[in-house]
Amino acid sequence: MRLVVGEGSCGLAAGAGKVHTKLDELFSASNPVNAEVTITGCIGMCFLEPIVDIYEDDGTLHRLVKLTEKDADTIYDAVVSGDLSKVKELEITDEDASFLSKQTRIALRNCGIINPMSIDEYVSVGGYDALSKILKDGMTQDEVIEEIDVSGLKGRGGAGFSTAFKWRAAKASEGTEKYLICNADEGDPGAFMDRAVIEGDPHTLIEGMLIGAYAIGAQEAVVYVRAEYPLAIVRLENAIKEATARGYLGDNILGSNFSCKMRIKAGAGAFVCGEETALIESLEGKRGMPRLKPPFPAQSGFWFKPSNINNVETYANVAWIIKNGGAAFAAMGTEESKGTKVFALTGKIKRGGLVEIPMGKTLREVIYDIGGGIRDDKEFKAVQLGGPSGGCIPSALLDTVIDYKQLGATGAIMGSGGMVVMDESTCMVGMAKFFLDFTAKESCGKCIHCRIGTKRMLEILDRIVKGEGEEGDIEKLEELCYAIKDGALCGLGQTAPNPVLTTIKYFRDECEAHIKDKKCPAGECVNLITYSIDKDKCIGCSACARQCPTNAISGQVKSPYVIDPNACIKCGNCKTVCKFGAILVG
Amino acid sequence: MSIKYTIDGVEVIAEAGETILASAKRAGVEIPTLCFDENTAIYGACGLCVVEAEGVPKLLRACSAKPAEGYVVHTDTPRVLRARKTALELLLSDHTGDCRGPCKLNCPALTDCQKYVNEIKDGKYKEAVSTIYEAFPLPASIGRVCPHPCEDACRRQKIEEPISIAFLKAFAADKVLESGDVYKIPTEPDSGKKVAIIGGGPAGLTAAVKLRENGHAVTIFDQQPKMGGMLRYGIPQYRLPKEVLDAEIKIIEDAGVVMKNNVKLGKDIMFDDIQKEYDAVLLAIGAWTSVPMKVPGEDLEGVQGGIYFLEKLGLGETPVIGERVAVCGGGNTAMDACRTAVRLGAKEVYVIYRRTRNEMPAADIEIEEAEEEGVIFKFLTNPIEIYGSNGKVEGMKLQIMELGEPDESGRRRPVPVEGKVEDIKLDNVFMAIGQVADCDGISGVELTKKGTIVADEKTFRTNIENVFAAGDVTNKGAGIAIEAIGEAQRAAFCINNYLCGDEVRYERPYFVEKNDAEVSQIDFESMPKQDREKMPGLSPEERKHNFDPVYFGFTEEQAKAEASRCLECGCHDYYECKLIEYANWYDVHPERFPGEKHNRPLIEIGTVIEHNPDKCVLCGLCYRTCEEVAKKTFIGLYNRGFKATINPMYPTAEAASYCATCGKCVDACPTGAMRKKF
Amino acid sequence: MSCCMEKHSDLSLIRETLDHYKNIPGSLIAILQKAQDIYGYLPVDVIYHIAEETGVAPAKVMGVATFYTQFRLQPVGKYLIMLCQGTACHVNGSELIESAIKDELGISDGETTEDGLFTLKNVACLGCCSLSPVMMINGETYGSLTPDKTKNILRELAKEGGATE
Repeated sequence: MRLVVGEGSCGLAAGAGKVHTKLDELFSASNPVNAEVTITGCIGMCFLEPIVDIYEDDGTLHRLVKLTEKDADTIYDAVVSGDLSKVKELEITDEDASFLSKQTRIALRNCGIINPMSIDEYVSVGGYDALSKILKDGMTQDEVIEEIDVSGLKGRGGAGFSTAFKWRAAKASEGTEKYLICNADEGDPGAFMDRAVIEGDPHTLIEGMLIGAYAIGAQEAVVYVRAEYPLAIVRLENAIKEATARGYLGDNILGSNFSCKMRIKAGAGAFVCGEETALIESLEGKRGMPRLKPPFPAQSGFWFKPSNINNVETYANVAWIIKNGGAAFAAMGTEESKGTKVFALTGKIKRGGLVEIPMGKTLREVIYDIGGGIRDDKEFKAVQLGGPSGGCIPSALLDTVIDYKQLGATGAIMGSGGMVVMDESTCMVGMAKFFLDFTAKESCGKCIHCRIGTKRMLEILDRIVKGEGEEGDIEKLEELCYAIKDGALCGLGQTAPNPVLTTIKYFRDECEAHIKDKKCPAGECVNLITYSIDKDKCIGCSACARQCPTNAISGQVKSPYVIDPNACIKCGNCKTVCKFGAILVG
Repeated sequence: MSIKYTIDGVEVIAEAGETILASAKRAGVEIPTLCFDENTAIYGACGLCVVEAEGVPKLLRACSAKPAEGYVVHTDTPRVLRARKTALELLLSDHTGDCRGPCKLNCPALTDCQKYVNEIKDGKYKEAVSTIYEAFPLPASIGRVCPHPCEDACRRQKIEEPISIAFLKAFAADKVLESGDVYKIPTEPDSGKKVAIIGGGPAGLTAAVKLRENGHAVTIFDQQPKMGGMLRYGIPQYRLPKEVLDAEIKIIEDAGVVMKNNVKLGKDIMFDDIQKEYDAVLLAIGAWTSVPMKVPGEDLEGVQGGIYFLEKLGLGETPVIGERVAVCGGGNTAMDACRTAVRLGAKEVYVIYRRTRNEMPAADIEIEEAEEEGVIFKFLTNPIEIYGSNGKVEGMKLQIMELGEPDESGRRRPVPVEGKVEDIKLDNVFMAIGQVADCDGISGVELTKKGTIVADEKTFRTNIENVFAAGDVTNKGAGIAIEAIGEAQRAAFCINNYLCGDEVRYERPYFVEKNDAEVSQIDFESMPKQDREKMPGLSPEERKHNFDPVYFGFTEEQAKAEASRCLECGCHDYYECKLIEYANWYDVHPERFPGEKHNRPLIEIGTVIEHNPDKCVLCGLCYRTCEEVAKKTFIGLYNRGFKATINPMYPTAEAASYCATCGKCVDACPTGAMRKKF
Repeated sequence: MSCCMEKHSDLSLIRETLDHYKNIPGSLIAILQKAQDIYGYLPVDVIYHIAEETGVAPAKVMGVATFYTQFRLQPVGKYLIMLCQGTACHVNGSELIESAIKDELGISDGETTEDGLFTLKNVACLGCCSLSPVMMINGETYGSLTPDKTKNILRELAKEGGATE
């Protein structure tokens, strides 16, 4: 019997580590059934963490969810007694299980299944077969690139540029010294696909990178990992060590002429380093400020040598493609976008987590069929794709097909995979401001449009949410948006206006309500709302009054309370504590 | 392998690896850039060098983009111009400073006061005079009589008192006149074009000089016996000795300006003839007629226009006046008239003014000196009737007034106090409540209701093709001399453009100016005080019975001390600054993007260089030059985004010696953000 | 020019790191990260020492140290609260958590409490979006926060931290 604890960062944050420790304690004290307690990476069902999978010896899986430290005793008891009906209560419901069963997993194929700290487990599921196929069967560099070309794989980091094209360019560049770089600086706030892959299946990344390095002729590979991902770094370091020890990394890999070493560079916190030339600057130990393109990294990149950069998810597909053939990958998806895409589904969603689906599904399918719809049965309002470079797509476009072209047509972008769902209580102007605040803070400051332009846009949005918006602000925002798109130096700046443009495009009424009527329809902008108590719903429990930090709420117990609007600071405490929905915000 | 492409229709051959910027430059197409410099690696920050290539969806940064064979590149498409303009506007929306000092910006003729004041400080009087001549001629005369709006704006008054800019101007001009090595107006080769200027006052003379400088043949026609207009016939000898004016007019004559006096338009010469005979005509005839007060008794003997009275004096006559004289009005003409009356022997001289002293348009010093000379000011009084017998004035009835609500000029409107009337006995009344133009003799030129000439404010054109107008005779009417001079200077610019076939239009250049809030950030409190130099002159007793010049002029020592008080508000780098140059190319309006502006202290870079972060455009040239050219890397780029700054390495005892004090960063800086302190 | 550089960091602590990276070009960020681990922040004398040892100009090192959000030029409190400002956390009310922290500790982003116990730092996404809103304190993640829950966590830590002072 094997007990597998889901230990991705979010599982650990939810308390998986404590469950694991407790199980270890129990089994190390006495383990009559010889049960093994091990770990796996992110299973992807973050809404159910912590999760423990019990595999019976015949392979039967019992997935136990939302565990606490106390549940460890129950689990121990059930495992030791051999009576797994004792954990029936803890098992995942069929409905929740459908979250996974409706997915098609390629990049995430091993995540949540194998132990990321064990190369044996990776090899046991066919790991490094693709690399062996290349090196032992003697696939040429061009053949590898051709296979990737057939697959139609595009960069999964956001821009969606053809992977084969980039590899071909890097291979074609003169010079013997070349670099292959992995961008694991997942900076989009609200996205964690890459973290999950590294934490859950680091060898998949290594294998994909090795294939890429072989294809372009690089002898050195570097993974630039976000500093906020300490666990990913630990697991990747371990995997590199293991792979080196087994001869998958280093000199004359698998006895071939191909040699490649790999190392990790930890980022230090700069979103702009997701831009490939800024990333290169950072790798060289400098300020992460974008270089001018051209020259492109394929010609002159890391240390001014030809370099290829892809993101984690892109590389995570590579071994599968080589092993199963580009055609198999291309068989999935749409005419324009092949294969699958991983999304980090979060926000006001019932079932949030990692979702990998074939291209061509609709947003509605992901949000409703897999994600279970909106939490607390509220109204869907918008879904944000592409983070600070993307945009908010309204409900009218929920049937938009997920591929690069069609998502791009909405004004949002596919992005790296952040998919944040919003309900009626989210203010879209506030959302636009949130992203602008992010990009303005993350602007490296090199070019004028981004440095000052985003700042000015943020100031306008800030005025609008404070109720100080003026006639003409929307037009001024639009003007700045187009100027910044045209004039900014790098992708960060050029795409920074997208969240604002989509907000204006789809939620213009809401913007205008802020400016003209000084109202926030979503009831979120503090300066534009008032709190009051619905006297029909209030039962006079006084919970709100006790929570009010400014004593703005008064009344007699058992009769409706009232809020003094002059004393109210709109902190929302009352609304949070009221169990009767009696607090009105408008 | 070289590449052939076109830029703005010009065929260009780019050498292998050459950028659009470099190859365009060789072809004579100028592309703006703030961050590119041949001595440092391409950086690409400013985005001003963007150009559009047909078939290429993105704008290209010319500093780095290399042309492809057959590229059709444009540097002036609306998209390119918009991108550059927005970049500049965004930069300027966070740019704090004074391109030029407030003195210059408040001068109607945009005279570079700060520059000549500092030249005087350094004893460079000739240079100072030539600086003034860049704006207008007659510095010794104007320096004596100008009500100096420059001084009103002077920031030194926030410490104690403004710089004595006008007197310094007169000082420098006198010095050069006295030296014998008088200023010579530089003239371009003859253009073959002829310009007639009607009116030889400050406006006419200024335009004559400017147009003569451009090489045009200029003839001034004036009805008076001598040139100078109001300076000669409106301003008394004790304020402006006519010898000074003569000497300055001679400089103009020596430059080849033909001066024809005693020529009255419509009588001695016909406007139509002039208009046909000359390529361009400037009407600068001034405003010589006193506005009537419209009270009974104006036609009595002894009642005259103040300006008419002064004109007589200017013509060398000595008008006979009685013992009791009233001058009605509160402007400079009124002051000149009342003080002249004192000098002609009147025993009681009144100034009748319907508001209070605070509202008087005359210069303070004029009022003060008039008071010292015994003039009696009757504020809040308004003539309602002049009476007399045998056709001769004997007195005036005055309505007592009080101040009511402010009118459209912002001044409180005087209103009569019901039933309160005063009566004064008088022998003479001079009306000085305003002057209007007399446009008889100028046929076919469109006039305003006031009787002034309609002239476009940007082009100075009248309704007649080659006829321009400037000064007191146009639009809103009479003002101070320097205003007329400013107009004439701009009109001359327009006339020159007209003669050269260029666009006839003057736009005031864009300047970055500190607003009141930004000025209030300056720590004037801690600046050492140094009193304004007192102009030596005659005491009231010594001066009130003659027309001797009231002032002696500064001594050299005084002038230098006074000039040294200048705070040098205007940016040291104005003439080198690429930012302001480009700002004026693209007609920027940074006020469209209001928002947070930085307000940061100056940063010492080593011991001799000073960095002003509020003028920094973050082009990176300073630190890149320090690293790549000077090989020191003493300065670096710190922080990021809107907070990014240029900083030297952390100050330690040893740190300063890292700086080579080579000044290469200062030379590389495209704005005034870097300067050498000594 | 004023001379005010502190000169009291124990520079021997960084020796090993400097030796390790001696021959690896482009290691400045890694060295600074190690230095911050060792000293808790980047004291100016350490920065100068690193500059001298690596041959990277001090102005460049400072440029890097002030570019990345991870680096701190000031000491932080015993507990470093990293409050996630990711999109999911924003949507799920991270602003309320921030004001609860302000309320409880009286500090804003980047500030440290007077007793030196807590420093608040807003960070970009921690990647635990499903638990939003989230904060991480000294490596430990706290998810599904409410203002009350946040205050309780801080009070517990204050008790612990105060007791071991």
